[in-house]
Amino acid sequence: MPRVIVFTILLLGLLALIPPAIFARMRSTPGPGRPIHIVQDMDYQPKFKTQTANPLFADGRAMRQPVPGAVARGEVMDDPHYLEGAIDGQWATEFPSQVEVNMALLDRGRERFNIYCSVCHGVAGYGDGMVNLRAMALMANADGPVDGTAWVQPKNLHLPEVAAQPVGQIFHSITNGIRNMAGYQAQIATADRWAIVAYVKALQLSQNAPAGLRAEATP
Amino acid sequence: MSRFLFPKWSNLLLPGLILAGAVAPLYAVFVVAYGFSPKTMEAGYQPEQPVPFSHALHAGQLGMDCRYCHNTVEKTSHAAVPPTQTCMNCHTQIRPESPKLVEVQESYKTGEPIDWIRVHKLGDYSYFNHAAHVNRGIGCASCHGRVDQMEVVYRWAPLSMGWCLNCHRDPEPNLRPVSQITNMAYEPELELSDDERLALIDKYDIHPSENCSACHR
Ligand code: HEC
Ligand code: HEC
Ligand code: HEC
Ligand code: HEC
Ligand code: HEC
Ligand code: HEC
Repeated sequence: MPRVIVFTILLLGLLALIPPAIFARMRSTPGPGRPIHIVQDMDYQPKFKTQTANPLFADGRAMRQPVPGAVARGEVMDDPHYLEGAIDGQWATEFPSQVEVNMALLDRGRERFNIYCSVCHGVAGYGDGMVNLRAMALMANADGPVDGTAWVQPKNLHLPEVAAQPVGQIFHSITNGIRNMAGYQAQIATADRWAIVAYVKALQLSQNAPAGLRAEATP
Repeated sequence: MSRFLFPKWSNLLLPGLILAGAVAPLYAVFVVAYGFSPKTMEAGYQPEQPVPFSHALHAGQLGMDCRYCHNTVEKTSHAAVPPTQTCMNCHTQIRPESPKLVEVQESYKTGEPIDWIRVHKLGDYSYFNHAAHVNRGIGCASCHGRVDQMEVVYRWAPLSMGWCLNCHRDPEPNLRPVSQITNMAYEPELELSDDERLALIDKYDIHPSENCSACHR
C-alpha cells in the first residue's frame, strides 16, 4: 500500500479524535464562552424578569425602585410597638400582640439567628463568630490594620448591660442598627426579627439562669 | 503497451470502505450526542464577574449561610442576588480600601447596581420556582453543586429539561430535611436511610409535576 494512503488514514483517525477531546475538556473544566445555544428557540424574549437589566432606564434596572416614602399594600405604618419596639417613646418590655411566644417562635428565632447573627456574634452569642475572628486577625496585622480595616468587636450578648435590655430595645437594634452594626430591616422580615429577639432572650437566660430556674428545669 | 493492473492491496479497499461507511455515522452520532448535549454546551459556564467575590471564602471559610445574602430564596421564585447594602454590613469596616472592593464602594456611593453577570438562566419560555423546591427539602447543592468551594460560581448542572424531569420523576434520592437545605456538605443518601427519605415524601406532600404547563406557563 502506498505510504500516502496509510498516512491519510492515520491522519483522519487522529483528526477524528479532536472533537471528542475538545468536548471532554469542556465538560471537565468550567470557563467563559458558554452557554452555546445552537438552536435559539425563544430563549431570549423581549421581556424583563426579576433583577434583569433594561437599557431604557438611566440606572439600567428593569425593576423600578420604590419612590422614597412609598408604603406597600398591606404594610402597617402606625404600630410603633410592632415596627419599632417602642411604646410612647419608651422601650417596650412586652412582645407586641401580633407575636405569640411559643416553642415554634423560638425554633424560628434560632434558625434565623444562626443565619443572620452567628457569623458575627457567634452561635452562643459571645461575640466570637467566624467573621469576627477573621477581622480581628486583620486588625492584629504587624504593619497596622489591612486596607483600612476598622473592626469593632460584636457585642457579647451576655454582658449585663445587654442582658438587661428590654425586648423593644433589642428589636430596635436589629431593625435600625446600633453604632457599628448595620440594620437588618431590609434582610429580615418584621415577624422574624421578633422571633430573633425571643431567641436572644432565651439564649441570655440559658447562659445566666438563676439557680431556682435551673432546679425547676431539671426533672 | 503494458496493461494497467490493480495492485494487490486494492483488494482491501472494498472491506475498508464498508468499515468506514459503518463507523462514520456511529462517530457522527456519538459526537453530536456527546458534544451538543447541554452537559457540554450549557454546564460549566463561568463568566468573569466585575468584583472578584468568592463563595469559597464567604460561604465556605466564613461559614455564612446562603440565605444571609440570597434572602428571598425561601419566599419567592427568584433567589435575589444581594444588593450592595448587604456587602456593606461588613465591608464598611472590613478592608474598606481594598482594591478588590472598589466597584462595591463605588456602587454604594452612587446607588448604581453592580453589574453581576448572570450565570444560571433558563430559556425565557420556561418557569422555575425556588421556593417550591427549597421548602420541599431540595437543597441548593442538588442543583448548584458545592458553591461553598467555588472561587467563582459556575453552572454546575446542565439545567436542561431532561435534567429537571429526571428529578421530578424520582425526587427521593435528593430529599433532605428542610432544616438542612443550605448545608452544602449534607449528602442525603449517606445521612438518611431509604425509608427516612420515603417518609419525607409524605411529610412534605411531594408530587412533582410532569405536566408541560407546570414549567411552560
Ligand atoms: C456584621 C457583623 C454583625 C452582625 C451580622 C450582627 N451584629 Fe450585632 N453587633 C455587631 C457589632 C460590631 C456590635 C457592637 C456595636 C458597637 O458597640 O459599636 C453589635 C451589637 C449588637 C447588640 C448590642 C447593642 C447594644 O445596645 O449594645 C445587639 C443586641 C446585637 N448586636 C444583636 C444582633 C442580632 C440579633 C443580630 C442578627 C440579626 C446581629 N446583632 C447581627 C455586629 C454584628
Ligand atoms: C456574602 C454574600 C453571599 C453568600 C453568603 C452567598 N452568596 Fe451566592 N452570590 C452572591 C453574589 C454577590 C452573587 C453574584 C456574583 C457571582 O455570581 O459570583 C452570587 C451568586 C450566586 C449564584 C449564581 C447566580 C447566577 O448569576 O446565576 C449562585 C447559584 C449562588 N450564588 C449560590 C449560593 C449558595 C448555594 C450559597 C450558600 C452556600 C451562597 N450563594 C452564598 C453573594 C452571596
Ligand atoms: C458577614 C460579613 C461579610 C459580608 C456580608 C460580606 N463580606 Fe466580603 N469579606 C468578609 C471577610 C471577613 C473577608 C476576608 C478578609 C480577609 O481576611 O482577607 C471578606 C473578603 C472579601 C473580598 C476580598 C477582599 C480582599 O482584598 O482580599 C471581597 C472582594 C469581598 N469580600 C466581597 C464581598 C461582596 C461583593 C459582598 C456582598 C455580596 C461581601 N463581600 C459581603 C466579610 C463579609
Ligand atoms: C431544583 C433546583 C434548584 C435548587 C434546589 C436551587 N436552585 Fe438556584 N437556580 C436554579 C435554576 C434552574 C436557576 C435559574 C432560574 C432562571 O433562569 O429563572 C437558579 C438560579 C439561582 C440564582 C440566580 C438568580 C435567579 O433566581 O435566577 C441564585 C442566586 C440561586 N439560584 C441561588 C440558590 C440558592 C441559595 C439555593 C438554596 C437555598 C438554590 N438556588 C436552590 C435551580 C435551583
Ligand atoms: C433535585 C430535584 C429537582 C430538580 C432538579 C428540579 N425539581 Fe422542580 N420540583 C422538585 C420537587 C421535589 C418539587 C415539589 C413538588 C411538590 O410540591 O409536590 C418540585 C416542584 C416544581 C415546580 C412547582 C410545581 C407546582 O405544581 O407548582 C416547578 C414549576 C418546578 N419544580 C420546575 C422545575 C424546573 C423548571 C426544573 C429544572 C430547571 C426543576 N423543577 C428541577 C424537585 C426537583
Ligand atoms: C420540570 C419542568 C418541565 C416540564 C414538566 C416540561 N418542561 Fe419543557 N423545558 C423545561 C426547561 C427548564 C426547558 C429549557 C431548557 C433550556 O433552557 O435549555 C424546557 C425546554 C422545552 C422545549 C425546548 C427544547 C429545546 O431543546 O429547545 C420544548 C419544545 C419543551 N420544553 C416542551 C415541553 C413539553 C411538550 C412538555 C410536556 C410534555 C414539557 N416541555 C414539560 C422544563 C420542563
